[in-house]
Order: sequence, then structure tokens, then C-alpha cells
Amino acid sequence: MSGNSADYALPPMTSVVRELEALLGKNRTISSRDALLAWECDGYTIHRQLPLCVVLPESTAEVQSVLRLLHRRAVPFVPRGAGTCLSGGPTPVEPAVVVELARMDNVLSIDVDDLFAVVQPGVVNLDLTTAVKHLALHYAPDPSSQSVCTIGGNVAENSGGPHCFKYGMTVDHVLGLTVVLPDGQIAQLGSSAGPRPPQGFDLSGLFCGSEGTFGIATEITVRLSTDQPCVRTLLASFADMTTACLAVSDIVGMGLVPAALEILDQATIRAVEASVYRAGYPEDAAAVLLVELDGTAEVLHEEAQEVREVFARRGALRIEEATDPKDRPRLWKGRKGAFGAMGRLNTDLYVLDGVVPRTRLVEALSGIAEIGKKHGVVLTNVFHAGDGNLHPNISYDGRDAAETARVVAAGHDILQLCVDLGGSISGEHGIGTEKLDHMPLMYRPQDLEVMARVRRVFDRDGRCNPGKVLPNRSACAESQKWPQMVARVLGEEGRR
Amino acid sequence: MNVYAVTNSSEVAAALRECVAASRRVHLFGRGTRNRWQAAPPAAAVTLSLRGLSSILRLEPDDLTCSVEPGVPCQELAMALRQKGLELGCLDADDSGSIGGLYASDPLGAPNPGASSPRSTLLGIEGVLAEGLEFRSGARVVKSVAGFDVHRLFVGSHGLLYAATLLHLKLRPAPRVRAAFTTDTLDVAGAVDKFIEMRRNPTMPRRLVLVREASGCRVAGVFAGRARQVASLLQQHSLREVDKAPQDHLQQPPADRELVVGIVRASKIAALADILPAAAPLLVHGGGQFEAILTPAEVDVLFTALPALEAHAAIAIGAPSRVRRTTPLDQGAARLQRDLRSALDPHSVLA
Ligand SMILES: Cc1cc2nc3c(=O)[nH]c(=O)nc-3n(C[C@H](O)[C@H](O)[C@H](O)COP(=O)(O)OP(=O)(O)OC[C@H]3O[C@@H](n4cnc5c(N)ncnc54)[C@H](O)[C@@H]3O)c2cc1C
Repeated sequence: MSGNSADYALPPMTSVVRELEALLGKNRTISSRDALLAWECDGYTIHRQLPLCVVLPESTAEVQSVLRLLHRRAVPFVPRGAGTCLSGGPTPVEPAVVVELARMDNVLSIDVDDLFAVVQPGVVNLDLTTAVKHLALHYAPDPSSQSVCTIGGNVAENSGGPHCFKYGMTVDHVLGLTVVLPDGQIAQLGSSAGPRPPQGFDLSGLFCGSEGTFGIATEITVRLSTDQPCVRTLLASFADMTTACLAVSDIVGMGLVPAALEILDQATIRAVEASVYRAGYPEDAAAVLLVELDGTAEVLHEEAQEVREVFARRGALRIEEATDPKDRPRLWKGRKGAFGAMGRLNTDLYVLDGVVPRTRLVEALSGIAEIGKKHGVVLTNVFHAGDGNLHPNISYDGRDAAETARVVAAGHDILQLCVDLGGSISGEHGIGTEKLDHMPLMYRPQDLEVMARVRRVFDRDGRCNPGKVLPNRSACAESQKWPQMVARVLGEEGRR
Repeated sequence: MNVYAVTNSSEVAAALRECVAASRRVHLFGRGTRNRWQAAPPAAAVTLSLRGLSSILRLEPDDLTCSVEPGVPCQELAMALRQKGLELGCLDADDSGSIGGLYASDPLGAPNPGASSPRSTLLGIEGVLAEGLEFRSGARVVKSVAGFDVHRLFVGSHGLLYAATLLHLKLRPAPRVRAAFTTDTLDVAGAVDKFIEMRRNPTMPRRLVLVREASGCRVAGVFAGRARQVASLLQQHSLREVDKAPQDHLQQPPADRELVVGIVRASKIAALADILPAAAPLLVHGGGQFEAILTPAEVDVLFTALPALEAHAAIAIGAPSRVRRTTPLDQGAARLQRDLRSALDPHSVLA
């Protein structure tokens, strides 16, 4: 199973850097060691690796010239957006050139009648919504990192967010892509008229979630959504987590489809309340459940009443509601700032991302608590309850190799638990390098072989973000015995 | 004609392996109702009927998911879901085809922006490559981004990439009320304005079509939700409630005509209608899919004009020599399509 393995020898880099400088200029070709430190990792700080150099193209044509050059010189490369990835996706595994797309940040066109926008990949997610707000439109996918992450990164990760329970993931909002393939050829996948041409395969759907291994998206056509006339946000606190999860089941069981259903556990609530993200959540509660409803006023009136009835039936300790648009951000502030607030607990944070069928949430959460105890790690939970998408967070001191190894081992056990409960090892953060070891928990060698074949269609010689998503053969066998990442962490410590 | 009737994944794999060994081409077959969307298979091809894979293996109302074999009749699944107060957004309860056929042919695309479609409801699959390799892709939970989404390729693949033997699908609660609606007869410009207005509605219709017939144009569709909400939507948009949901497809064309399917943006519908002869039936879905019935000469004219509208089309029904003919694909995309077929079906077994 290759698709990752590189069968190329690196040419002398100084000459490649010189050629890149000739293409883009010195100020857009970064190669000094000190400057490269800024690209050493992404949000998954366990994996660090300096790139060979970083280039900052500003157009499709420049990306194409860069990729043609790297193809000719057989140099691997890694696309990068804002670097908020939580699975190591934009960080090289082996010596590679990072192609950062953040400077390609123009909204190229907005079409109100046809409800789409064409954007460059470096456009920040929230900036697109800001650009169309005056038209009563928005871009629906809303990762919690939306004020910094880029739409190119969202496409590559097929990102979700709190509102994807009702509105779907990034793939459901992508109509078309201009992609520069690893050999420099340009491909148009889908179009503003629709994501799949008649009698054609769904290439734009396949590209979403390919984690930067199929090429570089340089223009993205996304669907814009009409703003809902009214939004109501309710927050209920509960004395125990089980009841909060049961309330979610009741709400969905009644046929309601809220725009968002989010839960924070007590440790998260306390971290939030002690931070700048303070939202006035009750610190004595074991869990808070945030429910957002959107639609017309008459529907919301009925739906909010039904949700309140569920809360009352389940013995909620306190119920708050924001009908005033100015009050909504306060209720969301704690949820949106939860990862940031957890930064207070220790020097590093490992944000996990597993999915279980929603009906297994209670089992999953108690299993996660057990795993935390077994490995002696500090665990908190904040999650998209409607989708069963868990984000157990482990705060730890990354300078302590033994603790880091325990953290990684706990992460492995948690994802194994998700798979055992019929779920997935990633709901939205992707595989990257973080979960290479975990892929065999979910997929058999032949499943990975089929994925590798598809990858080779896009990237024939394995130079586009190598070492991501698909484990190599030996990793498949080894993962049964001992998580590779732990071995790597301990190995690196030994070398220090 | 040789027919393999299989009842499980290993039998599918064994049959395919046998065909590879005998260098025979294979035509995957569900219930045959969607063959109108496919070119006829080569005469020498063996038929692999997936009709015997006909069980609903899992239905989890509380998780809003189910796992079904491809040969399950759409009507049977619709009934099973209705009993649990659920629906599969892209499933028409009257569809006489199989669920596998619905996903593999997907002639409709999204019925409206943001509405459920085969693309948005397929969570994962179990499948078999033409060489007999059994594989899985995706998951059976409502959200997963683990690995590459090989299952997405199944939608609209017309049996040309692999055989699916199990589909994991995303469900949703059935709406409390459903109302079919139509406008009165309008001219093209009026119908397009109405169509654009309806597409922009925050509560989008479950289905939305613009139909041009001999008598003029109409915009029709289905609203779903709560009783008061549906009533006020009908009133707000001056729509007339009718008994029957609009047709999803045009009738079978007469022998001397062709059925063209394509995609077009709402704002280009008037220009599209201008290119077509006034009497040619035209149907456009809210999601952008359109169908038109034309003579071969009219199709040729249409195909030369479509690139200027940034629209694409293919001949779905017509003479064997012309079926599957399309407006030109971008070269990069064409290369990827070709390479995907040879990566997943290296012996070109699937016809
Ligand atoms: C606090 C916090 C909260 C988060 N919340 C969420 C959340 O709610 N939901 C969610 O889904 N994720 C979330 N994330 C994860 C992350 O923000 C997303 O994965 C995001 O989409 C990454 O975007 P980026 O621009 O930072 O991409 P990067 O991190 O730079 O890159 C991500 C991947 O995309 C590839 N890539 C980037 N640009 C391109 C391109 N133009 N073409 C091809 N490949 C490309 C890279 O190679 C890499 O593999 C969160 C992260 C943080 C730090």
C-alpha cells in the first residue's frame, strides 16, 4: 500500500530554492531556519518538522509554475492554509516545500441570483460571510476556528462545525474547484452550475476531505445560503452528563432538527468561566446543552416551547434563552472559546475528534473517563452532540515526554472505543499524521488499498503531502502492537 | 444473455472474478427501471443482477441512519421508514426502482440547493471492485472524514466504477405536513423570477421545478414542515396547493428524439430556453439539473451553445451511437475520470 512512499531522491535544495526565488521573488520564498520555525507545526503540536522552504504564491498561475518546477525537480510539497489543522495535515513529515495559500485571499465574485461565490483558497471562512452579510446571505460551514481558518483548508479537511448538524459539512456547500494537480496540470472539478457534470463522476466531492494529498485548490466555488429570519438560542444546565445526552435524544426523537446541539462538560465550563471567554455558564452544572433553532418566528415559537418542555421533563437546573441577537454571542462565547480556554490548564492541548452513533454517547463518555483514569491524563469534553461528534481534550505538558506518550496512548484508546461503538476515528479534523496509526482500527488493508489507488490517480509519484492519511504497510501491522506515534515521541526523546 | 443472480457480497466478488478470468464484460443491474439513463451494454456483456441483495440490514431511528443492500426496492425502504416516522430525503415513495439504482444513476442531483440528494445522504458503502476485491469506504455514522471518500464516487457512477453491496444512509425525521404547489402559467421570464425567488427562500422547498410545456411555464414543488409554516409559505409566495407533487422527469422521448440531461444556473435558464425550439419540453430542478427532449440536430445546436452559458449536458436517451455524448469536459477532469476508471477497473470489465 503505497501512495505515501516516496521513490524519489531529493535534488540539492539550494538550486531549487534559487529557482523558486526566481519565480516568486525572495520575499515570497522563505528559507532561513529562523523564519521557517513559524511553519514547524500546526494545531497538532505533537508533530513538528521544519519545511525545506516556504513559498507564498498569489495566483493559480503562480501555483502552477511552482508545482511544475517541483514536479520537474521531484521535490515533495505540502499545501497549507492558516495552519489551524488539528491532525498534522499541513506539517511536512519528510523534507518538503510548504506552499502556503494564505496570500490568495480574494473573494473573486458573488452571484446573488444563483447563490454562489468564487473565492481564492486563502479567504478566511468568516470573511466570506462578512462579505455577503449585507445581501442577507452567509456561508454555512462554521468551524469553531472560522475567524482564522481558510476555505482552502476547510475544503481539504471537509470541515464541519456546530451548525453542520442541520446544514451539512463543507462538501455539501462546494459546487466547483479549480485544482492544480501535483504535476502542474489544471483540472476544473464541478462548476457553478453544479458539483457533478451529467455522466461524470463526483470529483469535487472526492477532492473534499483529501487533506492536501490530491493537489492544490486555487479557486473554490461555494454555495451561499439565505439568512434565516429568526434565531433562538437556548442553554440548559444539567446535574449529570447522562441527562444532558438524553435531552438531546428527546429533541431529535421529537422530529426537531435544530441548527446546533452542543454540550460542554463541567471541567470545560470551569475552564471557560475562568478565562476571557467567560459566558456566565453555571459552574456547578455537570453539563450545559446549547440548542440553536432557526427559521420563521411562528415555527420557532412552537419549537422553542417543545425544547423547553424537554428540558423541564429532564429536570434541567437552569434554562436561559437568547432571543435578542445581541445576547446570542454571549451564550456561544463559551462554546466558541472552549479550546482557547483549555489552553489555561497546561502548556499543551491535544484535541481529539471521534464519532459515535448518537445513542451511544453516554457509553462513550463514561468509557472516555475510564481511559483518562487508566492513563492518568486530564480530560475535558466539548462536543457536537447532535452528530455524536466528540472532542475529548487532553491538557498536558508537551515538554514531558512520558506524559506526552500517555496522552497519545489515551488518544489511541479513545478512538478505538469510538470504533468499537460503531463510530469513526474522525468527524471533522481529519487523519493527517495524528491518526495514521488509527486508520487500521477502522479500515482493513484492502480498504486502504482502494484509497491508495484513488490517491495515485491524482498524485502519481506520491509527492503531494506525503506521509498523510494512509499508513504504510508496516504501520498497519505495527499498530496492532504499539501506537507508532508513541514510539516516535519516545524515539525523539531518546535522540535529544 | 448470461445472468448472474447473486445474494451477497462474496457471490458478487466470485462472479466478477470469474468474468475477469474469462475476459467477459459485466453489466451491473438493479431493477432495470433506470436503464433509460444508461447506454445499452455491449451485446456480449454478462449481466450481474444485484436484485437478490435485498435486505434492510439495520435501521436506527434514534441515530437517523440505516444500512441497506442495493437491491432493496425504493418503495419498500420508503414504507419501512414511514413506519418509524423517518424519511430518506432523496427517496420518492413511488419510485419503482432499487435503492442501489437510485444512487448509481442519480439523474436528479439535488432537487434544490441544500435539499437532500443521493450525494448528501450516502455516508458509506461496502463494495466490490471489478477484479473481485471487497472493500469499505466511509462509515455508518452521520459524520466521518476518515480516509478518502471513495463512496462518493458511487453516486452517478452508472455501474462503471464498482459494485456497491451495502449502502449506509443518512435519514431525517419525516415532516409533519407536506404540500405540493404550483404557480399559474407564466412566461419564461416570469417563471425564472419566481424560480429564483423560491430558491432564495430561507425555508427551501423540498422539491422545486420549472417546467416549460406547450401551454407555457410553471414553477412547482413541495413544501414540508409544520402546518402553519407551510400554509404561510404558500400564501407568501402566492402559490396554489395541488394534490400531486410535480413530475421529476420528462416522459420517455419518441423514437426520433433524444433526452438531454444537464446542469445550468438559474439565471441562465431564460437563455437556455431561447436556444431550444419553443415546443421542446424543458424541466429544470432547483438544484440545477435540467432535461429537454430534442431532435438530434437540435441537440447538436444546444451542445455548441452551452459552453457560453457555463452549462453542461449529456445525451441520456437516444441512438446507441450518440448516448453518453457530452459537452466537452475540462481536460484535467477528463484525465482524472479516465484514470479513476482504470485504477478501479484495470481490466475494463464494467460496461
Ligand atoms: C480552536 C480550533 C477550533 C477548531 N474547530 C473546528 C471545527 O469546529 N470543525 C472543524 O472541522 N475543524 C475545526 N478545527 C480544525 C481546523 O480549523 C480545520 O481543519 C480547518 O479547515 C483548517 O483550515 P486551515 O486554513 O487552517 O488549513 P491548514 O491547517 O493550513 O491545512 C489543513 C489541510 O488542508 C490542506 N490544504 C490547505 N489549503 C489547501 C488548498 N488550497 N488546497 C489543498 N489542500 C489544502 C493542508 O495540506 C492540510 O492537509 C479547529 C481548529 C482549532 C485550532
